[in-house]
Amino acid sequence: MNRINAGVMLLALLAMAFQAPLAHAHNLRKKGETVTVADSTLSVTPGRDWNRLSGKAGKNVETWTLDGGQLNDLTFFGGIVPGKPLVKERHKKKAPLPKFRKVTLLVELPELLEGTYRTYKNIGTFRLISTNPIKFLGQDGVTFTYEYTDQDQITRKGEATAAIVAGKLYMVSFDAPRLHYFERTIADVRALVATATL
Amino acid sequence: MNWLLLAGALSALSAIPAAAQKAAVPPPYAGVYQPQGVDEIGWWRQDDEDERTLAASPLVIRDEKLTGYIRNVLCATVGTGRCASARVYVIREPVFNASMSPNGTLRVFSGLLLRMRNEAELGAVLGHEFGHFERRHSLNLFRTQRSGTDLLAWSGLLASMAPSYNVIRVYRDLQWSVYGHLFRYGRDQEREADALGVGYLNQSSLPPQAAAAMWQNLMAELEASAKARGLRKPNFKTVAFTASHPPEGERAATLAGLALPDGSGRDNRAAQYRAALAPWLPLLLEDQIKLNDFGGSDYLIQNLAADGWTADLWFARAELYRTRGNQRDFANAIQFYGNAISLSGALPAAYRGLGLALTKTGRLIEGQAALQKYLQLSPDASDAKMISMMVPGAMRNE
Repeated sequence: MNRINAGVMLLALLAMAFQAPLAHAHNLRKKGETVTVADSTLSVTPGRDWNRLSGKAGKNVETWTLDGGQLNDLTFFGGIVPGKPLVKERHKKKAPLPKFRKVTLLVELPELLEGTYRTYKNIGTFRLISTNPIKFLGQDGVTFTYEYTDQDQITRKGEATAAIVAGKLYMVSFDAPRLHYFERTIADVRALVATATL
Repeated sequence: MNWLLLAGALSALSAIPAAAQKAAVPPPYAGVYQPQGVDEIGWWRQDDEDERTLAASPLVIRDEKLTGYIRNVLCATVGTGRCASARVYVIREPVFNASMSPNGTLRVFSGLLLRMRNEAELGAVLGHEFGHFERRHSLNLFRTQRSGTDLLAWSGLLASMAPSYNVIRVYRDLQWSVYGHLFRYGRDQEREADALGVGYLNQSSLPPQAAAAMWQNLMAELEASAKARGLRKPNFKTVAFTASHPPEGERAATLAGLALPDGSGRDNRAAQYRAALAPWLPLLLEDQIKLNDFGGSDYLIQNLAADGWTADLWFARAELYRTRGNQRDFANAIQFYGNAISLSGALPAAYRGLGLALTKTGRLIEGQAALQKYLQLSPDASDAKMISMMVPGAMRNE
């Protein structure tokens, strides 16, 4: 990299850093208080305190964490409409993401998440471990587990639960490093998912 | 190190001056080399550290046979005396990329293996990288590289200040220990590496014309990818290898001109390449088709099928069409799954995809039959319970 470009990159990084207000509040989500999530009617009652991160990966997406997004990432997808991707695309044309569609079947939702992760992160190491039926939001849903290695070399485990209600996709996913962090919190996450209503 | 080309470069290929100078025979290799001087010693130390991280990375494909094969291709290209100084690591990432760092770490990305069609093309890429290594191009860039390291420190600090998803990603992109440092070689260095790369091939038993052919193929893929996305021209920045280097028309012509004309009759060892990659092809294809790059993936599959369609290729193409998910795609996918099944009965996933595609086009009864077959062939599949809910009576048959 030459010096000029290094300078340009540094300027770009500075611009990014100061564009985002530093005092962006992460909100506390208190134990036992029912809240709606992801700008939708999806509501959950957490069994412990969580932090809601201010950054949004997409229009109807919201992320909670305990120790930071890289250590435990609980993401709610609240009513993704047909024709839309799970998270916001970096560039609609140049870097398109797989879309949720009207004809998408429950059993294909793991593939949708897999395709989104692989495309967004540009990784090859993603593995679906299990896909099973479950009741979610009072409907037939799907719960699935997966594992992937990100560019930061940490292998993460994930578990997601999803259902399609009135043509919209509702999903809760939890990703955490396979070592320690996933097992530590997954029981809390499952309890939280069980409280989800529309 | 950048195999980046312009659309316009291709037209230049046909207009090579007949009297173009052929690549000179590479100079004799000095043998085991130890870094000289404070800059090189420091650079190697950092590189050794990176290699330790790389060697322990979960992203490295640990298959002795595959790694050994790539090594043999490198040895066949640059000669056995030279190749002893390289250590090959195959990284599982579906991109066109390869690099060789100063201490002899040769990184080969899995996406490169999918795109090469024979040993000569692979040798052309490896030889080019080896040329940078042999001429110690990165050492000349060490000073600018140091300013890059400052940048890394700064970006880490700034990323932690701005908690947005994208900034964190940018920071991660700057973690190069596994992926290799970003070398931006100058034109003269690229020219030198091109000359050396083709020079090795000229001297080897592989056809040196492969360098230009490989280039042409990559260009066509990028164009197919851009076209399917409705873009006017390919976005070179999306390809790791080409992002750091502006496309040059001059280069393609030079490459073709450097090749010994009478080398074109040599065996490019395509059959051996296919055989060596065969165990990995399904995985490489899967990684590619799940990248949501319809145009590029379809081009690659058809290109691989130029020597004959196999069940793996039909299956990959079917999955590609089904996951794009337009109604017309399902019709094509159904046909492709059928082709895969007729070539190999032992592909349970083909019955799964066929069943899903049939279901989505309203052919429920046929779809259920296909899913039933999937469950029979693969009763312990990770999604067996989910699929069996779509097949009335499936539980009873288990």
